[in-house]
Amino acid sequence: MKPAPFDYVRASSVEEAVAALAASNGDAKVLAGGQSLVPMLNFRVVDAPLFVDINGIEGLDLIEEKEDGGLRIGALTRHFALETSVSVRDRFPVLHEAMKHVAHLAIRNRGTIGGSLSHADPAAELPMMAVLLDAKIVAAGPDGEREIPAGDFFTAPLTTVLAPDEIVVAVDLPGLPAVTGWGFEEFAQRRGDFAVAGVAALVTREGGTVTNTRIALMGLHDTPVRARSAEAAFGESGIEAAAVAARQDADPMNDLHGSADYRRHLAEALTRRVLTAALERAAQ
Amino acid sequence: MSPPDDIDLTRPQFIGAKVMRREDPRLLAGEGNYVADIKRHGMLHIAFRRSDHAHALITNVDVSAAQAMEGVVAVYTGADITRLANPYQATSRMKNYQATFIPPLAVDKVRYVGEAVVAVVAISRYVAEDALALVELEYESLAVLVDPEEALKPDAPKLHDDLESNILAAREFARGEVAEAFADAAATAGGRFHFTRTTPVTIEARASVAEYDKGTRTLTLHCTTQIPGIVRDKLSEIFDLPGPRIRVIAPDVGGGFGGKTSLYSEEIVACAIARDLGKPVKWVSDRMEDLMTTGNAFDEIVDAEIAVAEDGRILGVKADVIGDVGAYSIYPWTATIEPVQVVSFLPGPYRIANYAARVRAVATNKTLTGAYRGVGRPISVFVMDRLLDMAARKIGMDPAEIRRRNLVNDDEFPYKAASGLVWDKSAFQACLREAADGIGYDELRREQAAARADGRWVGIGVACYAELTGVGSRIAVAPGMPINTGTETCNVAIDSTGAVTASFGLASQGQGMETTLAQVVAEELGVKVEDVDIVLGDTASVSHGTGTYASRGAVFGGGAGILAAKAVHEKIVRVAGHLLEAAVEDIETGNGDVRVKGTDKSMTIRDLARALYSDMGRVPKDMRDEIDNLEATKVYDPFFGTTTSASHMCLIEVDPETYKVEIKRYIVVEDCGRVINPLIADGQAHGGVAQGIGVALMEEVIHDKTGQVLTASLVDYVVPSAVEIPSIDVVHVEAELPGTVGGFRGLGEGGTIGAPACIANAISDALSPLGIEIMEIPATPERLFRLVEAAKAD
Ligand SMILES: Cc1cc2nc3c(=O)[nH]c(=O)nc-3n(C[C@H](O)[C@H](O)[C@H](O)COP(=O)(O)OP(=O)(O)OC[C@H]3O[C@@H](n4cnc5c(N)ncnc54)[C@H](O)[C@@H]3O)c2cc1C
Repeated sequence: MKPAPFDYVRASSVEEAVAALAASNGDAKVLAGGQSLVPMLNFRVVDAPLFVDINGIEGLDLIEEKEDGGLRIGALTRHFALETSVSVRDRFPVLHEAMKHVAHLAIRNRGTIGGSLSHADPAAELPMMAVLLDAKIVAAGPDGEREIPAGDFFTAPLTTVLAPDEIVVAVDLPGLPAVTGWGFEEFAQRRGDFAVAGVAALVTREGGTVTNTRIALMGLHDTPVRARSAEAAFGESGIEAAAVAARQDADPMNDLHGSADYRRHLAEALTRRVLTAALERAAQ
Repeated sequence: MSPPDDIDLTRPQFIGAKVMRREDPRLLAGEGNYVADIKRHGMLHIAFRRSDHAHALITNVDVSAAQAMEGVVAVYTGADITRLANPYQATSRMKNYQATFIPPLAVDKVRYVGEAVVAVVAISRYVAEDALALVELEYESLAVLVDPEEALKPDAPKLHDDLESNILAAREFARGEVAEAFADAAATAGGRFHFTRTTPVTIEARASVAEYDKGTRTLTLHCTTQIPGIVRDKLSEIFDLPGPRIRVIAPDVGGGFGGKTSLYSEEIVACAIARDLGKPVKWVSDRMEDLMTTGNAFDEIVDAEIAVAEDGRILGVKADVIGDVGAYSIYPWTATIEPVQVVSFLPGPYRIANYAARVRAVATNKTLTGAYRGVGRPISVFVMDRLLDMAARKIGMDPAEIRRRNLVNDDEFPYKAASGLVWDKSAFQACLREAADGIGYDELRREQAAARADGRWVGIGVACYAELTGVGSRIAVAPGMPINTGTETCNVAIDSTGAVTASFGLASQGQGMETTLAQVVAEELGVKVEDVDIVLGDTASVSHGTGTYASRGAVFGGGAGILAAKAVHEKIVRVAGHLLEAAVEDIETGNGDVRVKGTDKSMTIRDLARALYSDMGRVPKDMRDEIDNLEATKVYDPFFGTTTSASHMCLIEVDPETYKVEIKRYIVVEDCGRVINPLIADGQAHGGVAQGIGVALMEEVIHDKTGQVLTASLVDYVVPSAVEIPSIDVVHVEAELPGTVGGFRGLGEGGTIGAPACIANAISDALSPLGIEIMEIPATPERLFRLVEAAKAD
């Protein structure tokens, strides 16, 4: 389990990294925390002639509070930094909760948000959080920066709209309305494993009535998705109807960790749990 | 408990003390010496090209491109190894057994995915792996047999053309009148049980470093084996080298659990190449290779039924076992070791007059199965204790009560079990009683009733077992095997510096044997524990030894250690009598000193050794001629071995929405005889239960229809991590000590033997309102989901 030979550059700026990627005709790979890439490299699942290490780029490791109550998170922010950030905990408690479920401490110390989003595992927490929180993913390429809504970013398992010569530099999370309750539940047989299925919800109340509901699913589709029919059913008929509707929003696959039927069942059960929790929190 | 008469209470008591593990500072600080740590000048690295077909003819092998790659030193095929190593197989005198040859590199045919086909030797593992891609192999696919029930049909294609069928072993057991027992029954229960295939995951994967010294024509193999002596003896035949010119060393080894108790192809290939090239070679398994090729475990289908009377008495049991043993009959244990144990231990600690069982070991296109912690008995207990619960439910009896009524009573030992095994006295009933007291069984039943009323799925599990440990020469560990697993050797020597060394044929894989064996020898000699050096895992240190497996280390090592230390002690006393001018009866040892009882006359054992060895004239020639040295080698044979028994109980809750099983309480009460070191004994129970939890809830080696291994990484082969293991209470019942030297019983495997049954019973208990019985493990959330859906649909 040793990698094939490869070249390595350590970029010191975004421009340098992008230039190195562009020069390789799409064969080079960005190396961030290495927690997904290096195992694939050792399994020889990934075989690239060049690795562009972005860990030396200054300024990509930040969590910045925005006026609108949101956050800008640099691509090199480690999972552990997100997990322990007071800004994240105060402004996006649902993300704070989700981070506890990402892998194990050693991996959280190295893994980055940019890496997790770019890797685009359909059962990973951060991609699902990006979809739930309406994140804008900021990517830099030879022609400069562009913003990609999270809802458009993920196209298939382990696949995004990023061009081979683009890198994620930051993620913008817009602030949440004042009275927003949240719920997060994932099911994995072992602590730290990728989820068999996971659901998160945000419920906003104004003056005692629910004005906005967002529900997102992971491990239940080939990308993280918003559960649109569950959201609609919740507004019309409440938790039970939403939980049942979440089954329709899920289009899960069969694998060793769970059948599609079981995952659909989890979609319903977890949706019930997260909506109950979110409503309760929104009432406080 | 009263100690046996021959234990001298005047000396310090190290046996039973919570001595800290002496190996831990070394192992925990990264100062251990594992095979992967070994470096030699000019060392080369081996990588294996493994079969990606489960069953195929090899029609073409072209290694020329690989051979030509820069950094590649040599490439070996099956034909090359055939030239360098004699063929071998695991023979047995058992009737209806068919041995298979195990080619170290496949010749003409591959029989499982992961089987080694070509070995590339290069200047680094990186280069060797690069070259693997250049090896050209062509195959012609053959029908793949992954279902043992298909493989045992008379018209099934054969894995081995020279054999009569794929049934490598078959055996039947019968006692009493089973048909009548079932006719008279108040209730019968049973069905088809499936205990799936697992693999013993160790932190350290398998590895070998082989060196051949051309000058002395000596082969040295450092490898991760539990059985250095068995490996040495077989290599001597395979390479036509006498014992003194082959040395097998198991240095620090990071876990074995039975997976390292077999002779492996990679070990033979490494030796063949080292000898052929005259260069040291290294192979370190990666995790994928390890998960695909280390001897797999269990994998049985058992059709079983029990008949009980109205009062819960077992009237009869019948069982038909199909063991899926994989592609070859593993050396040295043979394909019989796992499935035959299932039937011989199935009656367990219960009084069963009528028993009929049949077992067939069937070859399939999968990795070989071998020994894994518990061997066969986790299945025996799973089936037997599930049957008891199913029967209890039918007659409306409590699971603990039906066991109390059927466990062999104290006054019935020695008890000959229905399969012919004989249990010496062990605390069957006391373990059950204390487990119930310890966990608060009656209170838990009340809590369960309340939880059930709230719609919660809470269950209580009970399982009891008995196993033979420290099995001596009367019974082979695997039936009819041609090696002697019934003895073990210890040499205790005090050298001319006065230092004590105790050498064993055993090998340690982290069990703490350096500590426990030092405790035993120190106590017997009368020296400090820290002053006894323990040598393990080196075939150069004793003339015969087989190693560590089958819960034998404490019984054999402790026994041989006591015998050898006793013999050296006698010599010390003789010399001391002369030097201190006292009668031999008045001499005592302790703390590293020899003293004349009741006086202040004493000297250190160190000075005594110097006086004997180095100070000319202090010990007269006559006495020196008689004593020779302060050294003794003893071989211990426990002959029958002894019975270890335990009861496990647990409380679990199944989440009715996610089907996750939470283990809330777990208790083990075991009779392992005299406890040498409670810290280590508890650790063995904890580790065993942890592996049993993995087997019960998570672990499964999965093959697809074409024989591909779908669980070749630790993402897909799911072992429990620390977080999934609950706190486990362990109680040692030191009832009447067995007749083994030292009074020890083995305890290494027990946790894994009891836990799957205990947890499966608890889940069945939790889901009993739905009429669900757990017949197949691991009881993953997916399986529970399907069971509940099916029950609801009914
Ligand atoms: C045992 C284990 C368990 C895990 N469990 C979980 C889990 O439960 N949940 C979870 O979410 N994750 C889990 N992970 C994955 C972990 O979170 C990874 O850290 C993460 O997915 C990738 O981040 P990274 O920084 O390590 O990326 P890398 O491994 O360095 O890169 C991953 C991919 O993203 C690309 N990439 C990286 N950064 C950028 C960038 N800025 N722009 C463009 N492309 C980029 C790389 O080229 C590569 O293709 C687990 C990993 C392991 C080893």
